[in-house]
Amino acid sequence: MSALNNPIIAVLVSLVIAVTYFTLIDHYLMEMQGLDFWYLFRQ
Amino acid sequence: MGVVTRKKLFSTVALCAIVVSLFLPIVMALPSPATGEEAPVAEGAPKEGEKVEKARDVYYKTEGIVVGAPAPKTTDSPTDYPRYNFESRVLIWFANQQHLYYGSFVLAVPIFCMIIEFMGVMTKDKALAKRYDQLAYDFIKISLTAYSLTAILGGILIFTFLTLYPTFFAYLSSIFRPVMHIYALMFVAESGTLYIYYYGWDKMKEGFLKWIHLSMSVILNVIGTLLMFLANSWIGFMMSPAGVDEQGRYLGNIWHVIHTALWNPLNLHRILGNMAFGGGVVAAYAAYKFLAAKTDEERAHYDWMGYIAMALGVAFLIPLPFAGYWLMREVYAYRQQMGITLMGGLLAWLFIIQATMIGILFLSTNYYLWQALGRMRGAERFQRYIKYLVFLMACGFMVFITPHTMVMTPAELKAMGGQQHPVLGNYGVMSAKNGGINVIIVTTVLSFVWYMRGNKVPTVSWARFGNIFMGVFFACAYINIIFLAIYGYYIPANVRVGLSVPQVASTLSCLFFMFALNSLMMKGAKQLGPIEWGKISARSQYALIMLATAFTWMMGLMGYIRSSVRLFWHVNEIMRDNSPWAYTHTVGFAANVISANVLFFWISILFVFWLGSLTAKKAPVEAKVGVPGAIPQPAGSH
Repeated sequence: MSALNNPIIAVLVSLVIAVTYFTLIDHYLMEMQGLDFWYLFRQ
Repeated sequence: MGVVTRKKLFSTVALCAIVVSLFLPIVMALPSPATGEEAPVAEGAPKEGEKVEKARDVYYKTEGIVVGAPAPKTTDSPTDYPRYNFESRVLIWFANQQHLYYGSFVLAVPIFCMIIEFMGVMTKDKALAKRYDQLAYDFIKISLTAYSLTAILGGILIFTFLTLYPTFFAYLSSIFRPVMHIYALMFVAESGTLYIYYYGWDKMKEGFLKWIHLSMSVILNVIGTLLMFLANSWIGFMMSPAGVDEQGRYLGNIWHVIHTALWNPLNLHRILGNMAFGGGVVAAYAAYKFLAAKTDEERAHYDWMGYIAMALGVAFLIPLPFAGYWLMREVYAYRQQMGITLMGGLLAWLFIIQATMIGILFLSTNYYLWQALGRMRGAERFQRYIKYLVFLMACGFMVFITPHTMVMTPAELKAMGGQQHPVLGNYGVMSAKNGGINVIIVTTVLSFVWYMRGNKVPTVSWARFGNIFMGVFFACAYINIIFLAIYGYYIPANVRVGLSVPQVASTLSCLFFMFALNSLMMKGAKQLGPIEWGKISARSQYALIMLATAFTWMMGLMGYIRSSVRLFWHVNEIMRDNSPWAYTHTVGFAANVISANVLFFWISILFVFWLGSLTAKKAPVEAKVGVPGAIPQPAGSH
């Protein structure tokens, strides 16, 4: 826990968790509706 | 047999009787069992030797035996539409709206009572438990007088239907006959349970009896909710009929008639709306009492009551836009034209007013929370950041209320180069609006988290990481919501509509995860000072009154929108409205009628509150035990 209390490490770890989480919900919640979240990027 | 044992036995028997009465209407609705007797032939059902006519359900597309008469074809005559020298539609509108206001209130308040009574039973702090119990009692007392008024207004509504729209009401009751009887029986069960619940409060205040009392509140709310579901089936049928053929003939399956395309979305939307409305009304009552209070004790009590009611109301307000979104999605799925009439056509401007009201609701809630930080020592540290929340709220609000097209004179139209403003017009689409409302809701969640931390500092070993994680998570949620809103402009409409789901999920993630994380962090937190209940600005109380008024106005508005989307149909595509009032009113006229309804409701509810205060003056001293003192500390309240 002490390493996580270092602000830089804490920000990096938080960013990795949050960005991964939101990307996953964007992707899977669109897929569940039969839609492609990455539509624009595949063009 | 001891007195206590007798009480236990009596209360258990009463509870069982209530549970049995809950099932009684269902038993009565079952077809009679085969006893050798000849079952009576249902009215409209084919007799022996008669040819059985089958028809197709307009919604379920299943075949069924025709057992009902076709929907009547009305004419503009005194037979179908008897009238006074006044618009009948406005009269029925008024009667409906007032019944709905009171109905919502008396359905919502017992749910609050149940939650607060449960909190009182579960809390280990005896003084706090008594205060919760007293608060729950205060709530139910308010709703009891309102309950009688609800029944009276229900009677007025039925008489208004019978006298002004007899043909339509005859058709509706021929379809819903068993449902209407079940409704009436459930109402009897509801009344009985409510009276036992209220008058048995003091007799069942401890131990096992208290649990019985709490169970009664659960049953009371189950009955209340079922009542609402049944009433919703009537409006669901009028909007999206099922269980009948295209002539409106009943096909014998009552479940199809009840379970229409819009029934479940309506049920969810209404239950959340009722709760938010009930919380708002009780909060306004507490605010009024706070402003009129003469002692610090009273101010402390009503400040606390207002906070609890507001918090409960807002807890249901937050998911309300999502339930509304689901309802609209189902409306589009049922009839696209109906959805377009609502949100892109005739009624679209009313949705702009609705967006404004929703924005006002969230702004008032946030304003109250920011003011409430003032009653906590240590909360000053958050004050300087409030301006950033105001900025976010204002941006979200402005996007949310921007209309797609403007109402303009030809000269203005020419000067602007079209109906859409070259810049602001971009914010008038759903993609931007979803972003706007989600930003507003996430900001409200953030305000709540700050409020919960007001006078506390986390002491857990991972506090710094927790704080940073929370900040990053909120920031990423904002970025994701805004990114999805912008992304929507670059992809086709059929893909874009799906983006609302991850947007909502982002908001709900903040709500659930950040509240949970914050609660974990606040375990054993260091208190910087007590919460000084009663020491809050008068402005905050006006915010609560504003909140309640906005709720009331918005309910009236949304009721009108939902009802008028049927245009010239009593029952959509089945029974045409041929009265002289089968047209859509102007926005201004509708707004005036809604305002008149709101005004009447508030004047009449003030009368109800006044009646409640008369009883309070006669309350025994014992009932006053537990009224919070000048500086109470209900730590468990948040």
